[in-house]
Order: sequence, then C-alpha cells, then structure tokens
Amino acid sequence: MRIGIDLGSRKVKFALVSAGSVIRLETFDTISFYRNFGRMKGDDLTFDLAATGLFSPAEISGSSIVATGYGRNTLHLKSVRVISEIRAHTAGALFQTGLRDFTLLDMGGQDTKVALIRDASLRDFVMNDKCAASSGRYLENMAAVLEVGLEELSSHWENPVRLDATCGIFGESELIGQIVRGYPVARLCAGVNRTLVKRVVPMLRRFPSEKIVLTGGVARNGALVRLLEEEGYVVTVPENPQHNGAIGCAVISG
Amino acid sequence: MNRTGFTTTIPLEVLLAADRIPVDLNNLFITGGKGLELVEDAEACGFPRNTCSWIKGIYAAVMESGIREMVAVTEGDCSNTRALMEVLSLGGIRVIPFAYPHDRSVVALTEQIERLMGAFGVGWDAVNRAGERLESIREKIREVDRLTWEENLVSGAENHCFQVSSSDMNSFPDRFEAEIDRFMAEARSREPFRDRIRLAYIGVPPIIEGLYPFLESHGARVVFNETQRQFSMPYGIHDLVERYRAYTYPYDIFFRLADIERELEKRRIDGVIHYVQSFCFRQIEDMIVRRRLSLPVLTLEGDKPGPLDARTAIRIESFLELVGGMK
Repeated sequence: MRIGIDLGSRKVKFALVSAGSVIRLETFDTISFYRNFGRMKGDDLTFDLAATGLFSPAEISGSSIVATGYGRNTLHLKSVRVISEIRAHTAGALFQTGLRDFTLLDMGGQDTKVALIRDASLRDFVMNDKCAASSGRYLENMAAVLEVGLEELSSHWENPVRLDATCGIFGESELIGQIVRGYPVARLCAGVNRTLVKRVVPMLRRFPSEKIVLTGGVARNGALVRLLEEEGYVVTVPENPQHNGAIGCAVISG
Repeated sequence: MNRTGFTTTIPLEVLLAADRIPVDLNNLFITGGKGLELVEDAEACGFPRNTCSWIKGIYAAVMESGIREMVAVTEGDCSNTRALMEVLSLGGIRVIPFAYPHDRSVVALTEQIERLMGAFGVGWDAVNRAGERLESIREKIREVDRLTWEENLVSGAENHCFQVSSSDMNSFPDRFEAEIDRFMAEARSREPFRDRIRLAYIGVPPIIEGLYPFLESHGARVVFNETQRQFSMPYGIHDLVERYRAYTYPYDIFFRLADIERELEKRRIDGVIHYVQSFCFRQIEDMIVRRRLSLPVLTLEGDKPGPLDARTAIRIESFLELVGGMK
C-alpha cells in the first residue's frame, strides 16, 4: 500500500493506492487541516497523520508515504519521502491517463504549472510567477463577487464579457463595473473563465503540443475546458484531477 | 580621497587614476544588510512600485551614504538610470553621465572614455597605469574563476562574490587583492566539489539571498556566473578601449550570447538559470535566450531583496530534477 499526500495552498489532498488501484481519496481545507492536526515542534510545524483518522494504524504502518506541495517539508514523519510537485503531478497524469506524450496543465489554488511530457518523461516546464490571478483562489473570489457557486461559475463559456485587469483585486472592481452595466450572470461568468484562458495560453504556447491533460482543482471548471478547446487544444481531464498530485506521490516508483 | 559612486560597471581605471574611492552603488545597496528597507524608503519618496528595485535601492543608498559624486551609465544599462540621475542631481549630487555606444564603435567609446577622463581631470598615462594595476588583480580573479569550473575548488557563491566585487575592487584594490590571495591559498587546499549538476547563472546578479547555497544543498553548483565574470573584464586585453568593447554586458544580447555559448560548452554546463529583474527590459530578452540556448533554461524573476522564497525554491527543485533526469 502507498499513501500520497499533496499539501497545497488551499487544500490538503490524500490518496491511498494499492496494487495499482486508487483505494481512497480525501481532502481537507489547508487552514483547518493545520489548525486541527498541526503542532509546533521546536521551530518546525508538523502534523499528526494518525490523528486525522483518514487511515487505520495498519494502513499507516503498512504503507510507504510520499509527500509533495508547499507544506512538504513540514512533514516530520519517519520514512516520509518528499518529492517535488512537478514530479508528483507528472507521475499522477501518466498514471491517470495512460498517455505518454502531452502537455500537462495543472491549475491549483495559487500555482499554474505547464509541463511538457514526451515519451512519459518530463522535458520542460513553466510556472506562473509573482502573480496568481488565474488561479483557483481567483475563481473563488470572482464567484463570491458574483454571488454564485463555483459550479455555476464553471458552467458558462458563451459570449464572455470583456475583462482586462492584470490584478486579481482590480479584476473584482472591473467585474462589478460590468455587473452595473447590466450584463447577465452567464456572460459575466463566461468572462471570468475567459480571463483564465488568456493567462494560460501564453504558457501553453511555449510547448508544441495540442494534447493537454488538465489537472488541479480548476480542472473541474467545464467552461475552461470548452474555452481551451476553442483555442484548438484537445483536453483530457483525468478522473480525479484535484488529487492528481497526491495520486502521483502514491504511484511514483523508486 | 572622495568617494565616487557608479550605477553599473564603468572604466574603473579612470576613477583610480583620479584618486577617487570607487563605490559600485549596487554593491553598496545590496551588501549593507538592509536592502528591503532602502527600497521601501525610495518608494516612500515617490518611486513607483513597478520599477526596478536596483534603481530604488541605489537611490536610497546614495541618499543615505552621503556620496556627493557619481557616474551614471545612461546607455548600455537601463534607461531608468536617466531618471535616477535627474532625481539625484536635483538633490545636489554631481552626476557625470557615461554611455556605452550600442554599436560598440571604437570612435564613440573612445570619446565617452575621454569625456569621463575630462570630467575627472586625468590623462591617458595615468589611466593606463591604473589599468596595469587593475589588470594584475583581474588576472587573479580569472584564476578564482578557473578554480571554480576547472578544478572545482570554489563554490558558486564565492565565485559570484569575487567577480561581482571586481567592478569597484571593494573600493580598496590593495586590500581586495590581499583578500583574493588569502582565499586562493585556502581554496587550493580543499577537496574538490563533487556536484551532480553543473549550472550556469546568466543575467544580472541576483537580488535574492541564498540562491547559491540552496542549489549546492541540492547537488548543483554554479560554475559560470555570466555577468559577474564580465565585471572582471575577463579577456586580459591590454588596450583600454578594446577592453571595454569586449565587455559584453552593455551591448546587444547576441554579443552576450556568443560569450555565453562559448562558456557553456567549455565549462560542460548541464543547465542554465536565467535571472531577470522584475520590470527590466532584459525580461523581454528571455525569449531570445530560450530560443538560442539548447540546454534547459529556468527563468527566475527577482523583485525585492530578501531570502529565497518558497515558490522560487519549488521551481528550482523541479528544474534540478529535470536537468538531473536528462543527464
């Protein structure tokens, strides 16, 4: 058995994998997770995996544990192996899709990663830097401004209103400006989704690949998939996009 | 002796001939231990948030240090320096402009150097004598560099430090030379580094701290610091004008790339870190760097002074995995 843990900026994800099959997936909000299970040990923040109740003592003692994500170095558990996010996500995407040649687009709470995978190996990657407009957190903010749920926000892609602000906070006031002008919610939602595409396409264009595997929490945004397809990409969303990094940790060899 | 500041590497020979104490204002800003505070001071004075932190840091460092005379490089470096020059001159500081001609013309560069000499009241004899003195120190810095890539005895940070300091010879050339001598004697008695990955660092020196030790803790060592090496006039050229024509940093990217490509090959580099400063025109040149170099390139963007942040660390770790996997 293997346990994979992805300690992300917004969510902490767990995967239990046995004999090549995903047995269980779990998710916590990052803040409440650390509040409930984290404690200071000297200067280090650590957490108690057993106290989460996610895994039986037998599962914990009988599993190899691999972790990734921002909090990966806080994990002071015996025999926990730490790997980089890009490696975890690549392994997860290969396992979940069975594809060998594609561009991985992982859109999480803060990070957008684009990785070129050729012959099942990582060849190059880019990540957003300095700015997290177009991340999951940005979508959450915009949904709150529009007073709709993420599901509603994620269902509209036609006739997007124009939104151009570079800053995710100024973007909110720009969106409010468009609300005042009377645009319907559907078009406002589509506009928000369109801003995501405008942000990620320059990163995608770095690599010569039309085939995209889309992972991370933002992959559940169906409108984004639709808009990427309009840009000429063939998009595959694996069965568990948000747990891709945790699954990658659990299946990685070596 | 008067202290004379400068905004980027200039013909140091002129300042030395004029008995000035040279101060590279970038080094003054970044080594004082309160870089972030200086940037914030400059922003409080009205410098926009979205301009280069080096410009803001230099401004505040000059104001704080009491330096009353400086050379501002108005061509060959960023054009923000022009506005910096204007703002500082308003504060009563004597600012002497210096421009590297974009076409590397001998005539134009000679004229610029002679203007600089005129501003400091020195002639060619004194300048050439200062040149001989400086070249003897630069030769030792070249040896530190060779000990880095060929004999693997010097860390990336040490290589960075000695080369970056060569722009002003730490203000006191004799003292600096003695420091190099001591360092080399110590380095020669070391066990060589056994790195998994050999890296090149290209672009302006980093504003962030801790990059080199972080790389080394992951089995990767920088054995080529492009711009820092350029500050030490690495070609051993006798003629002063030719020396500053061979210096690649102020000229076009293709001239720089020719030097970079030669060194990548010679030093058996596995991967390249291209550092760019936020809001710098050189961020645009990253496109060309990536297109031209066949090795993996990680572009790192630094904005304000401070320790290496978690996001940058994640990107570096991933890059090192990529490079390690390709070996």
